[in-house]
Amino acid sequence: MVDNELLKVKGLKKYFPISNGWFSSKEYVKAVDEVSFSVKKGETLSLVGESGCGKSTLGRLINGLIKADAGDIVFKGDNLAEASETKWRSYRKPMQMIFQDPYASLSPRMKIKEIIAEPLKIHDPSLSREEREAKVKSILEICGIDYYHSDKYPHEFSGGQRQRIGIARALILQPELIIADEPVSALDVSIQAQILNLLKKLQKDYQLTYLFISHDLSVVEHISDHVAVMYLGNIVEIAPREAIFEDPKHPYTKALLSSVPIPDPKLKRESIILKGEIPNAANPPKGCKFHTRCPLAMSICSKEIPIMKTVGDKQQMVACHLYQ
Amino acid sequence: MSETMTVSKQQIASKRGTLSTFWHDFRQRKVAFISFLFFVLLVILAVIGPYIVPFNPQTPDYNHVLQGMSQKHWAGTDEYGRDVLSRLIAGTRISLGIGISSVLIGAMAGTILGLVSGYFGKWVDKTIMRICDVLFAFPDILLAIGIVAILGPGLKNVIFAVAFFSVPSFARMVRGKTLEVKEMLFIEAEKSIGAKTNRIIFRHIFPETIPIIIVYLTMQVGTAILAAASLSFLGLGASPSSPDWGAMLSMSRDYIGTAFNLVFFPGLAIFLTVLSLNNLGDGLRDILDPKIKD
Amino acid sequence: MHNLLNVNNLQIAFRKRKKSIKVVNGVDFGISKGEIVGIVGESGCGKSVTSLSIMRLFHDTSGEVVGGTIQFKEKDLLELSEREMRRIRGKEIAMIFQEPMTSLNPVMKIGKQLIQGIMLHLGLNREEAKQQAVEMLKLVGIPRAESIMNEYPHQLSGGMRQRVMIAIAMSCEPELLIADEPTTALDVTIQAQILQLMKKIQRERGTAILLITHDLGVVAESCDRVVVMYAGRVVEEATVEELFESPLHPYTQGLIESVPKIGNRKEELYSIPGHVPNPEAMPNGCKFASRCPYVMDICREREPQLVSNNNGRKQRCWLHQSIKEEERKTIG
Repeated sequence: MVDNELLKVKGLKKYFPISNGWFSSKEYVKAVDEVSFSVKKGETLSLVGESGCGKSTLGRLINGLIKADAGDIVFKGDNLAEASETKWRSYRKPMQMIFQDPYASLSPRMKIKEIIAEPLKIHDPSLSREEREAKVKSILEICGIDYYHSDKYPHEFSGGQRQRIGIARALILQPELIIADEPVSALDVSIQAQILNLLKKLQKDYQLTYLFISHDLSVVEHISDHVAVMYLGNIVEIAPREAIFEDPKHPYTKALLSSVPIPDPKLKRESIILKGEIPNAANPPKGCKFHTRCPLAMSICSKEIPIMKTVGDKQQMVACHLYQ
Repeated sequence: MSETMTVSKQQIASKRGTLSTFWHDFRQRKVAFISFLFFVLLVILAVIGPYIVPFNPQTPDYNHVLQGMSQKHWAGTDEYGRDVLSRLIAGTRISLGIGISSVLIGAMAGTILGLVSGYFGKWVDKTIMRICDVLFAFPDILLAIGIVAILGPGLKNVIFAVAFFSVPSFARMVRGKTLEVKEMLFIEAEKSIGAKTNRIIFRHIFPETIPIIIVYLTMQVGTAILAAASLSFLGLGASPSSPDWGAMLSMSRDYIGTAFNLVFFPGLAIFLTVLSLNNLGDGLRDILDPKIKD
Repeated sequence: MHNLLNVNNLQIAFRKRKKSIKVVNGVDFGISKGEIVGIVGESGCGKSVTSLSIMRLFHDTSGEVVGGTIQFKEKDLLELSEREMRRIRGKEIAMIFQEPMTSLNPVMKIGKQLIQGIMLHLGLNREEAKQQAVEMLKLVGIPRAESIMNEYPHQLSGGMRQRVMIAIAMSCEPELLIADEPTTALDVTIQAQILQLMKKIQRERGTAILLITHDLGVVAESCDRVVVMYAGRVVEEATVEELFESPLHPYTQGLIESVPKIGNRKEELYSIPGHVPNPEAMPNGCKFASRCPYVMDICREREPQLVSNNNGRKQRCWLHQSIKEEERKTIG
């Protein structure tokens, strides 16, 4: 085990079967295919990619909401991939999730203080009522919600406040790893900034480790230490933040970066506009899955799957034939 | 699409949860509200009825047999000279009692089956739903007659029979809602914090099904009263001497040509009760769950 | 005055429990021929309702325009009969939405949906209309135009559907295209394609575009002029360069400041404190006063007007305008 490595994922696979009529053979969507990475304690790894790239599935695999088909999930030195449901349950205390839609992820018929107390009731049933309330109170205040509101229901709050409540619920058990699945994409920009600042502050104060799932590169740059770019179930590039944003290697990373609209009209840059659509995940292209849209595709790209290689001196790993 | 609109719709929809807006919406629906008041009256009658009746509903009075409507006997008297109005008032307790208790039992069983069936899916779901399908294939009343025929006549068995045939409808409805709710994000969130299955089903999914259960409960009570009355009419329910509305109808069959009041008033009581419950159910459905139409 | 569309003092109210709630109150802007104008604002600011009111499309019947005018060329759209309006909708003004699936008929082939509109508005026969339809699909960059004609909307990806929507919208060569969050549901790489397409249409066909969005990046990359909305009002209007260079209204400043920018990472993002006021309980005075870092006494008392500066920039902020002396006295 490497120093203070909190989470290590190796060769993780999840194939979803799709039935294609009664008589045809079973097909699979390779939602997550041979994914490996590791996260150090106190750091943020972002998983970024477009819809269907498998980033959300990956988050749910690591949290055990869905079972992996193959591969290892090593959390605090224990391999969870084969663990029983009971063992998983005990690991959900140090590993919590924050969801994209803060409204849908909060039980609509519970008061917010009940929602936030839920994890305590599950994992710490011996706590007295007063102790529980004291904890709820302090966590709400940390997350910027006045305890005065704790008797209200989720629908009485605005989107940003609901996300704060979701964060408070994730935080109350003092977890070590937080998996945040698009936590700010449903929010308005001004609110998004508040939530991002809160997440950063909490990370600093409580030594939290984030697995941050997002499609928004500008948000990712703001929050991450490391970034993994995913395309159709694979990680195509994984590197420290500066490397990804200042010196991206994979053509997909480059295209993704240049597609982000910049809120500055004076910066008219030459953007790489990718041709075509994201291929169907049930029937991805052979070889490098990106070769159908890649502006630099070579003949080898349609034949062989590129393997991950370290490029340069900044721990930058790329799966691309250009660098093999 | 339009954000403002969806937001405002969402607010309206979500605010339905609060009691005061519920009451406000409910008052707006005149028919449902009047039905509700009528139902409250029935419940009051069921509770205090036996103490306020002008005559003893059980004691025969052979001096005043088969009298028509009069100042003394507003709804006339039956073949034993018992006051029909008094018997109707006293019978409220029996009819409502049978209706409500049988449906509550049926709803309880049906809800648990529906929750389990919907949440676990696979073979559990298939088994429960196939059994429900079989039960659905019988007309309700036939099923009830069959059960009473096996268990023997009597009030308890009527309650059981009526409860039995309302189980599958509750099970199916609750299952449908469970299937919808279990896919919602907050259920996933609950799993992600490590909640056990029991907790998820009963603390998180069950509350979401309560509105439709309440709506269906209301409507089903009417059906149950009707079914219980039918069983009594057929001589399979309450003993003929007890002031049950169905039994009263059954008793007065022979006098249908000569003393219409004997048939009319019990019939009217059943009709109004069932009508009000159905209207109340409709109204509640519109407010609590506009999506389920029938 | 702009020579295509002029919206003046638009007011829209929604009815809720017998109360009338104004969600748009005082929206003024205009579009000239061939221009791309953006309306930006956060959710609930009234930008979508504004765009729907131009088309006189209120899916929700509880909403209605209660004041103002919408001048399109010579006509006030609010005065037209439903029949006259139908002739303008689709033909002179077309609209595309965030989720194309909801505005395409799911059980009708794409070709038929295209041909229908073309025959109706341009009076072509079926054969000519079909040709025009294929041409439109090619224009929007759909590779196998002929075969797509025979497919149903669900067979296409999100980006393709949005292209089809644009093809339908453009098929009658409207003078104004209203695009309500056209790229919000799309992935960035596809968003880049669609934005490029819209600019191409504007350039080649001279179509004016009203782009409604919450994304300042999209505005900066595609618009000529920007209208910023907050709480149902226009708070600022400027050319895109001016707006990003020197935003006047504190809300615009905060909005631009709170977007994380690639290559310009900060430890902490600027964030506007508080949240948008509830339309049912709008404060007096400036609607942004409670969140504004420069708030003054007057801001809480009186709402500023949308005032045009000499250079054509407009703002609704007391920092950049003053009340006349005599009025000041009456307020005390």
